Amino acid sequence: MATRTSSRNRRKAAPAVGDRDPDLLRRIHRFMVLTRAVEDRMVAMYKGGDLLGSLYTGHWHEAISVGAASALRPDDYLAPIHRDLGAHLWRGMEPWQVMASFMGKATSPTGGRDGTLHYGRLDLNIYNLPSHIPANFPVATGMAFAAKYRGEDRVCLAFCGDGSTSRADFHEALTLASVQKLPNVFFVENNQYAYSTPLRLTSASESFAAKAAAYGMPGVKVDGTDALAVHDATAEAVARARAGEGPSLIEGVTMRMHGHAEHDPADYVLKELYEEYAKKDPVELFENVLLEAGVLDDAAAKQVREDARQYAIAARRKALADPMPDPADIEDGVYAD
Amino acid sequence: MPTDTGNATYLDAVGLALDSEMDRDPDVFIIGEDVGQFGGAFKVTKGFLDKFGPRRVVDTPIAETGFTGLAAGAALVGLRPVVEFQFADFISCAFDPIVNVLARHHWRTGDPMPVTMRAPFGGRLRAGPTHSQSVESYFAHVPGLKIVMPGTPQDAAGLLISSIRDDNPTLYLENKYLYRRLKADGPISLDPIPLGVAKVVRQGRDITLVTYSAGVHQGLEIAEELDKDGISVEVVDVRTLVPLDVETIVKSVRKTSRAVVLHEAAKRLGYGAEIAATIQEECFWHLDQPVVRIAAKNTPTPTSPPLEDAVIPQPAEIAETLRKVARA
Repeated sequence: MATRTSSRNRRKAAPAVGDRDPDLLRRIHRFMVLTRAVEDRMVAMYKGGDLLGSLYTGHWHEAISVGAASALRPDDYLAPIHRDLGAHLWRGMEPWQVMASFMGKATSPTGGRDGTLHYGRLDLNIYNLPSHIPANFPVATGMAFAAKYRGEDRVCLAFCGDGSTSRADFHEALTLASVQKLPNVFFVENNQYAYSTPLRLTSASESFAAKAAAYGMPGVKVDGTDALAVHDATAEAVARARAGEGPSLIEGVTMRMHGHAEHDPADYVLKELYEEYAKKDPVELFENVLLEAGVLDDAAAKQVREDARQYAIAARRKALADPMPDPADIEDGVYAD
Repeated sequence: MPTDTGNATYLDAVGLALDSEMDRDPDVFIIGEDVGQFGGAFKVTKGFLDKFGPRRVVDTPIAETGFTGLAAGAALVGLRPVVEFQFADFISCAFDPIVNVLARHHWRTGDPMPVTMRAPFGGRLRAGPTHSQSVESYFAHVPGLKIVMPGTPQDAAGLLISSIRDDNPTLYLENKYLYRRLKADGPISLDPIPLGVAKVVRQGRDITLVTYSAGVHQGLEIAEELDKDGISVEVVDVRTLVPLDVETIVKSVRKTSRAVVLHEAAKRLGYGAEIAATIQEECFWHLDQPVVRIAAKNTPTPTSPPLEDAVIPQPAEIAETLRKVARA
């Protein structure tokens, strides 16, 4: 962990943050901290028996989910996966709604019809994905297609994991997006494991970014624990898509620091990987960058953490108190009227 | 472009309806393999590219999963895609997005999913086991999909228009054997025909034949033949499998007290099983005989004519079954 310098030395922005808008940087930090706080709270809720089924978290994915989402406009489309709580929160999803989804509550975005991580909201331009990713990738090409069809300059950012890249819909979506020059940004969150399957059994490519060349689109590999690197790479891809120049592929390398879900002790993971990545906590790393650049001071950082903790606690209280759904209307809405 | 000459084929009728909906609603577009320059494998979209341009007539790579998912995404945010599968046999490649994305999205979220999937299906063209399939039962089991199977040029037009205007994912199955064999006897009306309304295409007293798609024509021909023997057959064309117009079927069977179900899909768990079970539940005390199903053998569809004819229901078998049930 980097040593925090004293406040006297933090007057001028360090080159690491350049001339970026300090408010944007503080906002990214705030949402990364909030994401971690909500997920830490939910891990405790899982252990305490508050949740149905298992809990899928995105520890060490915060720089990707928030860093990438922060490069979008609110009217851009988002097709996230289960490690992307940060992107949902950035868009305006409430933590209590996410908790309610994991509890099957009436107040979850699907009213308890779906659960766990299936909590997208179209009013926030977020697609609510099915379980088997990257089924969200072809859907993301459709949202981008609609934007282009209407002459709008909206783009669609879709996430998947390293494991997803093996599926046909990954290939078909990238093929369609490239030949149709769709405003898509595809983000592969390489967290080293597809459930228990290590990277070497998933892909023999030198990287996932390298696959972009075969589709005729730019591919870039970034440090997925570095929020600024993620934000910059996404912003560049978004600008390209918005300008009508077509899709891009970004690979963000990080580590899945919890099991596939909380029921999974993940004892198949190499100890060395955990040790290596324990030193690369994206939330801490970004906080240190901002502290060193003088964008944030210790008191403010502490306040952000405490606010996030309290927010997560209040969210749990609300979600717990929320009602369960009424089964009386379960057959309604199979079809739209 | 298709023009209505007063004797439009079934295929022309599909094209006429699609053309009129694309004229009417700028959010409607057609996407699929070879639908543009080539005009589609069966030429339903011949001339569409010139008229509507590549923005609305979208040629795709061979990527059924991809373009079906694309249609889902486009529909979610307000467009009304019409997906063409080159053959219904290839729809299995898109099983995942159809079942897991299209069919259940509205129920999960309340979001709209107005996607129409057109697919030429069925046998008798000597096209073999992976170009002749009847796929309706795979999908009829999935809540959230509508299934439309027109049997006449007029129904092909009116039901396609309703499918495109419907806010649900709709599987619209075109009988490719009928494409150029059936002609309308007059101009095609481009008024929508509501989904979920069966049609009694022939009134009869003694027995009800419940069927759809090509079965309607087989049924009508055989009904004329049996009429000479004094057997009066009522023919019900269900037209849409989901939603199913149970009321019309029940009304007919309560009148005739005998029912036979006919389709060219394989018998085991074919849609006839659903119809037969429904009749049994709703009309048991009105029935004089058990409900009998006529369907294809439980084999893949073979290529060679004598083999295919042995698998798909033939007129002699249909006539004999109807006679037997009517006179028992």
